[in-house]
Amino acid sequence: MADHRVEPIPAETAAASVVPVRAAVTAAVPRARPLSRLGQLLEQESFLAYALLAPTLVILTVFIAYPFFLGIWLSISDKVVGRPGHFIGLQNFRVNLDDTIFLRAFQNTFIYTFVATFFKLSFGMLAALLLNHHFRWKRIVRASMLLPWIIPTVLSTLAWQWMFDATFSVFNWVLMNAGLISRRILWLGDGTLAMGSLILVNVWRGMPFFAITLLAGLQTVNPDLHEAAEIDGANAWQRFWRVTLPLIKPIMLVVVLFSMIATFADFQLVYVLTRGGPYSSTHIFGTYAYEIAMRAAKLGQGASISLFLFPFLLVVIVLQLWYIRRTSGD
Amino acid sequence: MARDERDGQKGMDRRAFLKVAGAATGAGFAGGIPGIVAAQKPPSFPKGTKLHILEWVSFVPPSDQEFKRLAEEFGKLAGVDVTVEFINMNDLNPRIASAIETKAGPDIIMMISNWPHLYADALVDVDDLAEEIAKRDGGYYDLSKAISFVGKSWKAVPYCIVTPTWAYREDWFKEVGATKFPETWDELRKVGTQLKKQGRPLGQAFGHSLGDPNGWAYPVTWGFGGMEVDKNQKVIINSKETVEALKFTVAFWKDALDEGGLAWDDTNNNRAYLAGTISATINGASIYFVAKRQFPDIAKVTNHGHMPKGPAGRFYLTFPQEHAIMKYSKNQQVAKEFIRWFMDRSQYDKWFVINDGYVNGPARYWENHPMWQRDAKLVPFKESPQFARWPGFAGPPDRKASEALVKYIMVDMYAQAIKGMKPEDAAKWAESELKKVYA
Amino acid sequence: MAARYGGPFKRAATFHVPLVVMLGLTLFPFYWMFVTSIRPDTELYNVRMNPFFTLHPTIKHFRDLFELTMFSRWLWNTFFIATVSTGVSLLCGLLAGYALARLQFRWAAALGTGIFITYLVPPTLLFIPLGDVVQTFGLADTPWALILTYPTFLIPFCTWLLMGYFKTIPREVEECARIDGASRIQVMVRISFPLAVPGILSAGIFAFTLSWNEFLYALVFLSSPQQKTIPIGVFTELVRGDVFYWGPLMAGALLGSIPVALVYCFFVEHYVTALTGAVKG
Repeated sequence: MADHRVEPIPAETAAASVVPVRAAVTAAVPRARPLSRLGQLLEQESFLAYALLAPTLVILTVFIAYPFFLGIWLSISDKVVGRPGHFIGLQNFRVNLDDTIFLRAFQNTFIYTFVATFFKLSFGMLAALLLNHHFRWKRIVRASMLLPWIIPTVLSTLAWQWMFDATFSVFNWVLMNAGLISRRILWLGDGTLAMGSLILVNVWRGMPFFAITLLAGLQTVNPDLHEAAEIDGANAWQRFWRVTLPLIKPIMLVVVLFSMIATFADFQLVYVLTRGGPYSSTHIFGTYAYEIAMRAAKLGQGASISLFLFPFLLVVIVLQLWYIRRTSGD
Repeated sequence: MARDERDGQKGMDRRAFLKVAGAATGAGFAGGIPGIVAAQKPPSFPKGTKLHILEWVSFVPPSDQEFKRLAEEFGKLAGVDVTVEFINMNDLNPRIASAIETKAGPDIIMMISNWPHLYADALVDVDDLAEEIAKRDGGYYDLSKAISFVGKSWKAVPYCIVTPTWAYREDWFKEVGATKFPETWDELRKVGTQLKKQGRPLGQAFGHSLGDPNGWAYPVTWGFGGMEVDKNQKVIINSKETVEALKFTVAFWKDALDEGGLAWDDTNNNRAYLAGTISATINGASIYFVAKRQFPDIAKVTNHGHMPKGPAGRFYLTFPQEHAIMKYSKNQQVAKEFIRWFMDRSQYDKWFVINDGYVNGPARYWENHPMWQRDAKLVPFKESPQFARWPGFAGPPDRKASEALVKYIMVDMYAQAIKGMKPEDAAKWAESELKKVYA
Repeated sequence: MAARYGGPFKRAATFHVPLVVMLGLTLFPFYWMFVTSIRPDTELYNVRMNPFFTLHPTIKHFRDLFELTMFSRWLWNTFFIATVSTGVSLLCGLLAGYALARLQFRWAAALGTGIFITYLVPPTLLFIPLGDVVQTFGLADTPWALILTYPTFLIPFCTWLLMGYFKTIPREVEECARIDGASRIQVMVRISFPLAVPGILSAGIFAFTLSWNEFLYALVFLSSPQQKTIPIGVFTELVRGDVFYWGPLMAGALLGSIPVALVYCFFVEHYVTALTGAVKG
């Protein structure tokens, strides 16, 4: 076998430690102690469950559910900053569908999310495959790979802005001095190119998350399966496609799900790099909603733009959860 | 601390303060602000009164420090705890929105451009203050009034006007035969064409930022005779004149402008100019300010010129700033006293001078300030407010004008034309967008 | 995962080269940020200079960062907020994850799904109404505004991760303990939680990172410079008007990522291991 090792699988560790644990438990638990009233209640599964879930539910209700319903109310009102709002039904949404900038933002959000996720998945998978080996600098390499994800987004985005700068771009400097281009490339100045630059930065930032999570998935794949496949004559690509991939599909789906949701709702990256320009060609839902709500002070309209995301995301998450549940046989 | 004690300690300061104030405001004004202050006895606010002021981060950093210093001075004189908070222009709106909605936050907020119209319902009427100052200082510019007077009352006290002009390299312009800054757009285009051939194009932003990009879009449109709406807010952008302006801009872009401009925000032209990659640009005095301190060689050869004249005249888009007092504030009286004290000549003077030409006063009095004489290069700044108009012209600079501004309709109209859209189509697009806003 | 390498060249081509290229592309911006942060101003604004190295390194920008801004204060603030929010989220996620993974109760599926649905609500929608809530509790401009709002996006992921992790712990272990007379709570605390430590670590690291980097809420809920966190402080105080102070900005960006990077360096192995556990769930 090649010189790499799979990380010990926790389940095995757990199973192996049953005996000592059991001994510890026996030692730690006095027998047949009568339970208090509260203790009795906590023995019941449902009571315990709700007790455990209570803090989570409180926080999420107060800080998400309530503001969320407030947000829905905003979107069906004509609220502007400083004045009370009145119910206006779906008018905000109708106005949005009529707004060319909104439609552009709609298109951009989807393109941005799907293309970026595709690349993050591909490069992340590649990185995970590479990192799934045992080599001397493994730890440092893995930690360094995570750096783009660790650094505060707003700051790394500022760095990229400087790297793309129309006058001072380091990329242009390299390309010009290498004689590959004669005129500066306007990374953020051309509609399509700007979109591409945004996707590039998003992929750079998000790939490590995919890599590390997929790496975890790869390590649960039993090496014996690969041995068997090899013996049967499969080459590396076939082994990947038919053995590895199906086994890590669940984790792939989950990480894609989380990432897609975060990318749909992205704000910082686009806001810092282009603010939606040039000529509104890079607006996504988040940035456009922000501009309308904050600078035009139309809170109701802004909320309606933000909310457009929601039904779609709901469908996506329901589909994926259903798929995961089905395939994991839970 | 007993009032007497406080008076005793501050007595000297207060008397000195009143003397200077009295001298500066002249004898003619009966009582005057110092009179009012004197009559009130030192503004007596209960101990522990706080005043929270929100300002933008100035493009001229020392002026922020001066503002803070003056605010602290006021705090000592009035026995009030003053905090000044500075936020970047682009990040002010969410702070303001959240303060208004939650009814808590700074007592005084600096407004930029026509924000008083946008937030009018949450602002305190300040007619007495505003008119007092107007009378004393020779009247406000039309621009200042249009911006701060909403409906039937003054909703903010005009503070200053930031005016952009053309900063240009005198030496390079001389080399191509322009001994002074061109008077008309056609002349500028000729000069620009020659400069661009030499690798020294002019620079203009067409990206999404509130400052510089609008500094072209609106004035050029007005200069050729176009405008967004008429005085009854009927959309008239799609006109022969606008199309002329668009055609001119596209040609100007090809012949004379740095083509990175589509990606530029408010900061790119400063950097490009100071790095020597462009020969001229529309900007406030911040370029010159930084040059004098960090790039003296460039400062020596930099001068300022007026916006060229188009067939319909010469126009500027300027950024007036004003101070508004928030309705939710529990310290409205203190706030009024602060603004009154600050706008008093002896205080405002200090702040005005440190800005070194970056700002104009809101009223005519400041046109004659000796500072303008000190450096002849600053003269165009002094004169620009008279040519200034506001977004939403010829209608009022109200909420709808803000929406158009925020959606960058004017800027995008030009940007799209530059990218290749036919000028007629670009104007039509702007018309349909504006119609939705002014619906 | 087994891979056969047919010799040193093949190994280089299919492993070393791609790895190095990938590392290079990922880390290049950091190198560039580093160079920018030690470059004197005169070189920074000169278009013709080579951007890749400088012959006159200076620590002025780092000094400026600490002297001209309240960077050390921000460092502390960010650390405090990230740690406490992580703690709160971990606690909630731990309890919730256990409940959803191990206990049978009527609304289990609905609540589980409900928790994930909250992840879908974008902060750009929430921040105005949240501002209202924060104000009502009197938390504006205090770290508590963030400590209580960050868990809203941290808890769902922590819950998922720990849920998956708990599922990998064989039921026999717990059942043994119950047979021996332990109460449910005792089982949970003394058996399951210790076995889930790697999962807790990895959820903790994830939560810490996200809290450290958050921008929008910090921008809107905090205002005084002494309360700011690193992303907000660096962004708002080093980008003044139309001047970007690139030197200190990049210095701030680097220093602002080092603490988290260090944490990762120590714990990355645990992180991976723990995710492995969760994945199996």
